[in-house]
Amino acid sequence: MPRPSRRPPGSPPHWPRHAIMIVVSFLMLIPFYWVVKTSLTGENIYAYPPRIVPVDPHLFNYVDVWYMIPFARYLLNSVIVTAMAIAGSLLFNVAAGYALTKHFPGRRWVVMLLLSCMLIPFQATIIPAYLITSWLGVLDTWLGVALPLLSTIICIFVFKASFEAVPPSLIDAARVDGLSEWRIVTRILLPLSKSAIATNVILTFIWSWNAFLWPLIAIRTPEMQTLPLGLARFLSVMEDTTGALYAFVVLVLIPGLAIFLMAQKEFIRGLTSGATKG
Amino acid sequence: MTWRALTHRFVAVPLALLALVVAWNVYIAFNDHGVIEGEVRDGAGVPVAGATVIFFERNFVYYEEKQRATTDAQGVYRFTDMKAHVGQLEARTADGRKSERRQLRLWFRSQDTEVPPLVVEAPRA
Repeated sequence: MPRPSRRPPGSPPHWPRHAIMIVVSFLMLIPFYWVVKTSLTGENIYAYPPRIVPVDPHLFNYVDVWYMIPFARYLLNSVIVTAMAIAGSLLFNVAAGYALTKHFPGRRWVVMLLLSCMLIPFQATIIPAYLITSWLGVLDTWLGVALPLLSTIICIFVFKASFEAVPPSLIDAARVDGLSEWRIVTRILLPLSKSAIATNVILTFIWSWNAFLWPLIAIRTPEMQTLPLGLARFLSVMEDTTGALYAFVVLVLIPGLAIFLMAQKEFIRGLTSGATKG
Repeated sequence: MTWRALTHRFVAVPLALLALVVAWNVYIAFNDHGVIEGEVRDGAGVPVAGATVIFFERNFVYYEEKQRATTDAQGVYRFTDMKAHVGQLEARTADGRKSERRQLRLWFRSQDTEVPPLVVEAPRA
């Protein structure tokens, strides 16, 4: 017995749209494929005509990367800094976002100040940021590298929007039941703001994992360097780097890809619902 | 914690990666004595005794000599405690014959390895 079609009668077939999406997906995956292929062969990326299929692929470029630079140390530094940035940003952004849902004198000015600060690029504030970090005595530490990402204005507003979408009667009921402000946030608001949490985690992860300029300034000793700095150092000490360089790039990409593939559903839901909820 | 929780992807994937890393490190622990051994033969396939085998280690730019070994009566040489993961091997005999340099790439530093025979030939005029 033929399976009934889910397509409403009279609507156009799905396959042309799917075919286009498959083609576009392949086009978008070509750079990733090229990076992986070059990491397996080490062939010149400017070779013409280019070889689509890798010739004599091997994994020894990855072994070279592992031993020629302290990759494990760089990875550990990046993981710790990113974990600190995510944990800190969740704490501070939630607190700031919740505070901005309250009515207090000057709230409008605070919001205006935060919004206007978004216009200032980080490069413009890097000297004060350095001086503050130095004053706190956390230069060349994991905390010092994570410090600028412990609170981000975009994520504060993501949480603010998410918290404002929760019906006030729910919060009033919790308050009548005797919950403290902190417990209202942790027990009522955060469970209803999973998409905002996911957005915060994704953005902080991407910013922290890829950060180059701030770690370059805040870190002094080689053993505290993160993966992007390690990549720059790798380039500066190695000759004939093509294969090993691309192997390094793949190794840097793998943790992010693994996390994205594991949490794909939550990430996409978080980004799209944040976009529509406003 | 129930067994069902272990099958969740946020738990299963890190656990699988951890198991992979542990298994790989256990394998390394049992095979990292730095032993590189092989045989030197002549063009007719006869083992060559007393040949010198040189291990060249790669630094950042070129290969430099690191260690030498001499073949025994069966034409077998053996390097021990070789802390390298990439290098080249070349055999030379007292009468001027030598082999082509054999590229050696290992999966980890000090990996115990058996190299295919090095064949020594008289240099071409």
